[in-house]
Amino acid sequence: MTGSAVSPSPARRLGLFARIYRHRADYLYVLPAIFVMLMVIAYPIYYTIYLSFFNTPPNLALEDKIFVGVDNYSRVLMSDSFHEATWNTLVWTFWSTFFAFVLGFGAAIGLNRVFPGRGLLRGVLLIPYVISAVAASYLWRWIFHSDFGVIGAITVATGLTDRPINFLDNTQYVMASLIVVNVWKEFPFAMIMMLAGLQTVPDQLLRAARVDGAGAWSRFWHITVPHVRSVMLVTVLLLLVTNLNSFTIPYIMTGGGPAGASEIWITHIYQIAFGRIRFGLASAYSVILFIVMMALGYFYVRALTHGDDKAPR
Amino acid sequence: MTRSNDFTSIDRRQLLASGTAAAAIATGFAGTASAQASRTGVDLSTWTPQYIASLAGTAEYDTAAECYRVVPRDYRGRVTYWYSAPTQASPQIEHDMDKAFFEAFAAAYPNITVVKQGLNYNDMLDKLRTTTMGRAAPMVARLPILWGVEFAAKGYLREFGPADVGYAPDEFWPGALKSVMWKGKSYGVPTNNETMALIWNASIFRDAGLNPDAPPATWDDLVQYSKQIKERTGKNGYGMVARVNAGNTPFRFMPQLWAYGGGALDEAEANPDYKRIFINNAGSRAALQASVDMYVRDKSVPTSALTNTQNENQDPFLAGQLAMMIAHPSEYAFMLDRARKATGRDKETAEAVVASMRYGFVPQGPARRAIVFGGSNAHVFAPNVVEGGLDVNAAKALITFMTGPEWSTKMAWVSSNPGNIRGFRTKWMKQRLDEIKFLDVTTSMLPYGIPFPVLPQSAEIMNIIVPNMMQNALTQKMTVQQATDDAARKIKDVLGDL
Repeated sequence: MTGSAVSPSPARRLGLFARIYRHRADYLYVLPAIFVMLMVIAYPIYYTIYLSFFNTPPNLALEDKIFVGVDNYSRVLMSDSFHEATWNTLVWTFWSTFFAFVLGFGAAIGLNRVFPGRGLLRGVLLIPYVISAVAASYLWRWIFHSDFGVIGAITVATGLTDRPINFLDNTQYVMASLIVVNVWKEFPFAMIMMLAGLQTVPDQLLRAARVDGAGAWSRFWHITVPHVRSVMLVTVLLLLVTNLNSFTIPYIMTGGGPAGASEIWITHIYQIAFGRIRFGLASAYSVILFIVMMALGYFYVRALTHGDDKAPR
Repeated sequence: MTRSNDFTSIDRRQLLASGTAAAAIATGFAGTASAQASRTGVDLSTWTPQYIASLAGTAEYDTAAECYRVVPRDYRGRVTYWYSAPTQASPQIEHDMDKAFFEAFAAAYPNITVVKQGLNYNDMLDKLRTTTMGRAAPMVARLPILWGVEFAAKGYLREFGPADVGYAPDEFWPGALKSVMWKGKSYGVPTNNETMALIWNASIFRDAGLNPDAPPATWDDLVQYSKQIKERTGKNGYGMVARVNAGNTPFRFMPQLWAYGGGALDEAEANPDYKRIFINNAGSRAALQASVDMYVRDKSVPTSALTNTQNENQDPFLAGQLAMMIAHPSEYAFMLDRARKATGRDKETAEAVVASMRYGFVPQGPARRAIVFGGSNAHVFAPNVVEGGLDVNAAKALITFMTGPEWSTKMAWVSSNPGNIRGFRTKWMKQRLDEIKFLDVTTSMLPYGIPFPVLPQSAEIMNIIVPNMMQNALTQKMTVQQATDDAARKIKDVLGDL
């Protein structure tokens, strides 16, 4: 093959509409999906943003709402409850994500080895993930119950405490208790994701490293981690998004209490919308949360689309 | 087994001063009580257990004839109806009555189709809010007493009152009629009304050295009883409930607040205008301090009070681990049902508790004896929010049927009382009094009933602001004064929308 002496003239770039027209059959195929997405995703987002500029007190029908500009946003951002809920959300999201990931990754490393009963153990560890969040919340509510909980009964019966430990009706312990439940519920997700990632690490590389004298930590740090880095990133981002959007566990177990100590963004938005019947204010809150989610979504998409390029070859 | 009847002549005077008469004046129904004596044969000024018993079974009514005066028998139509239906936890009799009601209506109006939807109490309000906004509301809904005003204020309800179904206003409790009024117009017909009472376990009282057959006379006594029970038996004294966004909390705390002379607004006063904030007055602070004393100082109430609803107190009570609580008229039937279904040692314990169960008046405070005036109302939704349009006559037929003396008595069999006061004169009322233990006590609390403020913001005030105030004080996040001032500021903010 010989190189061409004359470089080809660049093809004239077609306009957007011309390109759409050229691929009109493709667009026709995806049109129903786009329409559905516009209806169930785009319109609600638009309407939430629209509603966030109105005051909707409980004595007015929605069509009688009052335009207040960005007043709802300033009310949200200036309120003590927002600051409290934001701090709680950060604590909830960070520690839930951290422990779920660490526990899930640890379990994945263990399950990546071949040993008798591995399949059974993998199934058992998945149980928390497949249990309904509502059922799990009620279950743990009774386990942690401040008067008749199982843990309290054991600590009293064994003489460890005089009274049952007050897990849920205590402003100091409630968030930690909820995080324990959340981690129990979602660490299997991290486990499955990381297990899938670990199974892509070439065995030859690990064996070669061992022959070259690399220790377990060195193999893990220099071979395994770089290979699963993109999976780790995606898993952490998904956990962050899931935890930021959490509702069921805090709502059912404590309703955001006591005294707002377990109130996080989503439960607070729900309470503003359906407890206080202020959809405008709740919409402003939702838009703020949406912006945070979009930022995380951006990193998630980037991780998905660029992750492979960064993996060692 | 003793029934507590401390209905003295002084109580009757207080009743007249603070109960029915006050409500009648406040609602613009002055003279209603006396009018009731002439039109319904019921004199609310002598509302005692003995009087209630003497009324029962003294009159018969022809339900079908009353209905046909409003909507003819051969009317052909369709009505969609939402209501809080009996659940698995409900006693069997409620299921039977529910079934019998629809069968009887079908027989009375064979050409009217009822499309009913029984909803869970906790889900119904949110569903209605959503469906009204989406123009998919039912034609008729039976809603708890606090809910209707929000929809009326938004223009989602059709003007509708007792006159639309052929009944006179004085056939209903003044407080109940007040709950369907918004800006001087009526938006519903009361279906049933009830007030709660105090229940206690006489065995625990005895073990604690208290008179097993006498409830605490005052709220201060209740605090002392609770402490004594905890100290002497190790069991929790009073079943406090302080969860946020749960209707059980205000239904149990507001009677205490009102008794000490407090209130969210001025709803307990003779002429409430709902513009005066009482949540941080001396009475409210005293009431909150009493709760703090029980929870923080004496630790004589369940630690789990901050996350509990009333449901979570039922099991400890039935297990003999909780001595007192404010309870619904149906609590005895519920406990009896649960005891029958229990097995082994649980059954023995539960049966012993049911045998030791007593009903009495809720304690009084320095200002008054008070209880939340509860119940339900039937509402007709405005045609523009009803899915498929409104069939007014079918709606009228259904509401006439359910709010008459017969079915307003039968539908409230164990859990409430007839909204139509003529129901107290029926043979079914006599049967209820004969069969349902303690019904006379809970029914006798009715004149002490105070309705929640009839405002669209009531749900936020009662379900969010008041419980939050309690939690702020009980967790010691705030002092009593700070918590009440914080609640007052929030209520003022909420009222700013009016």
